[in-house]
Amino acid sequence: MASQAVLDQETFETFRNWRLNRAQYAKEWKQRTGGRVMGYFCTYAPEELMYAAGILPVRILGSHEVQDVTEPHIFAMFCPFCRDCLAQGLKGRFDYLDGIMIAQSCLHIRQTFTSWQKHIPIDYSYYLPMPHHVQSRRATPFLTKELEVFKDSLEKWLGKTIDERAIDDAIEVYNRNRRLLWRVYELRKGDRPPLTGEEAMEVVLSSQMVDKQDHNAALEGLLAQLSKREPARPTGTRLMILGSENDDMEFIRMVESFDATFVIDDHCTGTRYFWNDVELDGNRLHNIADRYVKRVPCPTKDWPERTRVRHVLELAEAYGVQGAIVIQQKFCDPHELDIPALTRALNNAGIKTLFLEFDVTVPIGQFKVRVEAFLEMLQEDDLF
Amino acid sequence: MISAGIDIGAKTVKTVLLEDGKILGKGLVPAGLDTVASTKQTLKRALAAAGLTVEKVEGFMATGTGRKSCPFTDAEITEVGAAAKGINHVLESCRAVIDVGAEEGRAVRCDAKGKVIDFAFNEKCAAGAGTFAEGMARALEIPLEELGPLSLKARQAVPMNAQCAVFAESEVVTLIHNKTPREDIARAVLDAIASRIISMVRKVGFEKDVALIGGMALNPGFVESMKRGLEMDVHVPEDPEYIGALGAALAAAEQTT
Repeated sequence: MASQAVLDQETFETFRNWRLNRAQYAKEWKQRTGGRVMGYFCTYAPEELMYAAGILPVRILGSHEVQDVTEPHIFAMFCPFCRDCLAQGLKGRFDYLDGIMIAQSCLHIRQTFTSWQKHIPIDYSYYLPMPHHVQSRRATPFLTKELEVFKDSLEKWLGKTIDERAIDDAIEVYNRNRRLLWRVYELRKGDRPPLTGEEAMEVVLSSQMVDKQDHNAALEGLLAQLSKREPARPTGTRLMILGSENDDMEFIRMVESFDATFVIDDHCTGTRYFWNDVELDGNRLHNIADRYVKRVPCPTKDWPERTRVRHVLELAEAYGVQGAIVIQQKFCDPHELDIPALTRALNNAGIKTLFLEFDVTVPIGQFKVRVEAFLEMLQEDDLF
Repeated sequence: MISAGIDIGAKTVKTVLLEDGKILGKGLVPAGLDTVASTKQTLKRALAAAGLTVEKVEGFMATGTGRKSCPFTDAEITEVGAAAKGINHVLESCRAVIDVGAEEGRAVRCDAKGKVIDFAFNEKCAAGAGTFAEGMARALEIPLEELGPLSLKARQAVPMNAQCAVFAESEVVTLIHNKTPREDIARAVLDAIASRIISMVRKVGFEKDVALIGGMALNPGFVESMKRGLEMDVHVPEDPEYIGALGAALAAAEQTT
């Protein structure tokens, strides 16, 4: 019988391999299916529509390596994430992409898209004007029309039509993935979550890189294993992490090397990516549009009412959060605007926060000192 | 019981020996490259000052950047926790303690029991730390100890934009070329460090009493800059650079009893 340690390693190996070898996966997928791969920049991209066209949508992320190739293209005071993403393109690490697309969210990542369009040869590119004012009742009809235009564009590029049936199937595959991820996250609500924040991040990040059908099969297997998994370490302080994009595995690992576990996140690479389903009711493009309009918003779109604050508080309560680490990509204005409101709301709810500013590489030593002091403060609170 | 608090900082190692809340002996040596050796030496000094042998020490606690490399104990407390405990022991009315050492500035809000309520660190900026003062003293060709007293003789406030230690140094060079009096430059440098630190203090919030600890608290010019910037009195305890070690010694005593 395999030891617990071996089991632990194997449980997440599939997801880890996908994340680490994403290029190889995409190339093999193309060979296997004859389909095309589309890189997208922001989670407002309507993946269902692309998947229905036989395309594999993959999210473009950075590498967390220092680089010197983006200076001519992106202003230095744009966020490090958008520069890191462009660097990957300029260095040829996404040479397997057939197309790129973006759904409007913030100017910084749009600059990455525009520079990519201009300087990296690519067969197809598409800018989808995702509305900003998602709280308007006109947002869903607007996006529905835009999805029709996008669908036409994809059909022209591929030389085929995307039929209703394919859209239905794509929605089902995507909704299934969301529900499975949601079930994995549900397990983290327990007193002793069977997976760490690092492991959860491995699972959710890989979902943005591979075919959802492959991911769904792996998730089914994972759920079966997790139901009988005994966590190898004590849970310690229950933490939430929130902010913009975050795929910084090293940081998560560092925090969890102490007596603490991340039990929930609010990142566009995490819960915001999969939290909401497409609800089926009548016109499919309308249903897809409605999902993206009503999903947990990015701060670029969360106004005039700040709905995300309420959502974050609900998550914190449901997952028994004791402290929150609020991170921000340096120079990310939309999140900068949200952070004071979020911090105040969390503090008022009795949840202390630690703010950290992320760059392409994080100063792990400096952050370690802050994290330890934060945990010490929270653990001292527990004693009284 | 006798406990020892050891603060392994970026530039110096400090030890405090404590019995029933009373300091028996202290020791300070430069950290150097071999922190284990300098930590041993600082304990030796503190023991000698107290007239004790190491066997009498019943509990150890390490703090500071290098706390993980303490040869005497694995028990540790963060700089933040140690500063709050230490200052509470010498100034119970303190609600905000500002710790400016060689490589880092920190602000800690604490309650009447010395418990940490919130804290902030200076963000990746050398211009808000003691080493910057050292570099600027070098640029002015004076020993570090003279920078503070010299600045007190300043007759005008010269604005300096110290967002970055490297650019700040070039600003100092410009001031030197413009024949700005040295005392005014000295004050400009200390005002700039204080300004960086105060913006961090404002972020975490503060109320009376405010205390300043760490090596920079020994610089009278810097203390004046802080008072001016905060527009309130700033308490400097006796031996401000030992407060972290004192906090660690207190934590060691709590742990053992």
